[in-house]
Amino acid sequence: MEGSDGTLTTALRLDGVSFAYGALPALSGVSFALAAGERVALLGRNGAGKSTVARLVTGLLRPAAGTVSLGGWDTRDRTPDALARSGRVGSVFQHADEQLFARTLEDDVSFGPRAAGLPERDVRRRVAAALAALELEPLAREHPYDLPPALRKLAALAGALALEPALLVLDEPTAALDRALSARVTRALLERAAGGVALLVITHDLTFAAEALERGLVLDRGRLACDEPLAALLGSAARLEPLGLALPPVAALSAALDLPGRPVRAADAARALARVAGGRPAP
Amino acid sequence: MTRLALERVSFWYPATDGPTLRDVSLEVAAGEVVALVGSGGAGASTLLLVAGDLAPRVVGGKLEGRVHFEGRGKGKERRGIVLPTPWTQVSGMAFTVWDEVAFGPANLGWPRDEIARHVDRALERLGSAELRARDPATLSGGELQRVIIAGILAMDPALLLLDEPAAELDPAGARDVWRLVRALANEGRAVLVATSDLDALPELADRVVWLERGRVMDAGPPSLLASEALCAAQLGTRVAGVWRAAGLSTPYPATVADAVRRWKEVMGR
Repeated sequence: MEGSDGTLTTALRLDGVSFAYGALPALSGVSFALAAGERVALLGRNGAGKSTVARLVTGLLRPAAGTVSLGGWDTRDRTPDALARSGRVGSVFQHADEQLFARTLEDDVSFGPRAAGLPERDVRRRVAAALAALELEPLAREHPYDLPPALRKLAALAGALALEPALLVLDEPTAALDRALSARVTRALLERAAGGVALLVITHDLTFAAEALERGLVLDRGRLACDEPLAALLGSAARLEPLGLALPPVAALSAALDLPGRPVRAADAARALARVAGGRPAP
Repeated sequence: MTRLALERVSFWYPATDGPTLRDVSLEVAAGEVVALVGSGGAGASTLLLVAGDLAPRVVGGKLEGRVHFEGRGKGKERRGIVLPTPWTQVSGMAFTVWDEVAFGPANLGWPRDEIARHVDRALERLGSAELRARDPATLSGGELQRVIIAGILAMDPALLLLDEPAAELDPAGARDVWRLVRALANEGRAVLVATSDLDALPELADRVVWLERGRVMDAGPPSLLASEALCAAQLGTRVAGVWRAAGLSTPYPATVADAVRRWKEVMGR
């Protein structure tokens, strides 16, 4: 949006952002930017400041110092509603599945685009695409509260996808999802990112992060402790432990068997394992 | 000794046609961690509600079969349940974390000093002692989850029923809670836990029970999580899944340590 310079456009930029809840400091001097299509994990311990970043980025909080800009708009000058309606940001906070209220899943997913004032034809197209991305079409006519919690969680995500924002901010999108549903979320997010949507995903699920995301930001007591490719970060137990994180199982397997390239994604590890076991030299 | 026994249990929620649990038989002994695994909607949460005497007593519905709970004698027959939604389990009547954790024991009519002893010990075991003066309403999801578990533990239950107790926790916090759960079993409590954290189970569980659409499909030691059937159902461990996807031979390893042993065999070293 911002990038009239012809390079990658910037979906989100934080510049020297600090925030405190009363006397309790939450973030200090945090700076980073997300380009269109970037897939970024926001990691760190409980209480490190991750949810505060999400609230700042969606405009629910204003920074005490520094600036947060979304597609060129300073969040200080806008309401959260205006930011969402402009298509700059869409979000799913934790336990958003408890906020479904319409009579059918389809109506619920339609709520955002309708509220944004889109013509009904566009609303239908976006809702259909969002439901398809998460394989929820067969449930479109169901009442949200007849669905198990895991599917309600997917429904809440579909609602955010239907807004087709330039930046998606998600808080723990795979918590308590089984692996099949988690894989659905991964596929949907990869598809949206390939279409240019930037992803900022708060997660404790490092296996999901390894599969779906590419860059890791780690917060430690309100400061940005790390900003680097996930493939490097997730392979290093020594780096992860002090940040309250732990080697995900696939990375642990790669390290223990000394697989070439130390893959952190399951499919890459399986390929490396097959190649080494087959006796062919690693490339 | 057997603390919990379900015999041919079926359960129907109110106003539903089909049962959510079908003919489930299951035992959990003192000192044992039994893990329920399954895809979403398999019935694990419902099974915990039935085992905790919340279904049908509180949620309504119809039960067939028999649920038997054997406590530890007079005044010790408690079972504690941790729901997957910690924020729904807060009493709402306490202004500090300490009082929140004391809410259960106080309702049991214990003497003050016994309440204090159990509350302090429970907070300490959950690594939450420094939260004791905080208002529960200001806690993060992970902090609250630990406080709720502490509140259940403070009641000194003989049987613990845990539904996704680590879902809100960071990886280090999840690891600590799983270690605590193992320790609680080792000191003689019985634990039945539903979790999607399959990779934690080889070090945690004595037995794994696979539920699908309300039925018990299989049960066995944690090595079950490396079986072809569980892997095909996306319920195997990640290590087993990688091994299987690589086209390497069975038995698949369940853990990294198993994989290192199997790798030496495969590579002939």
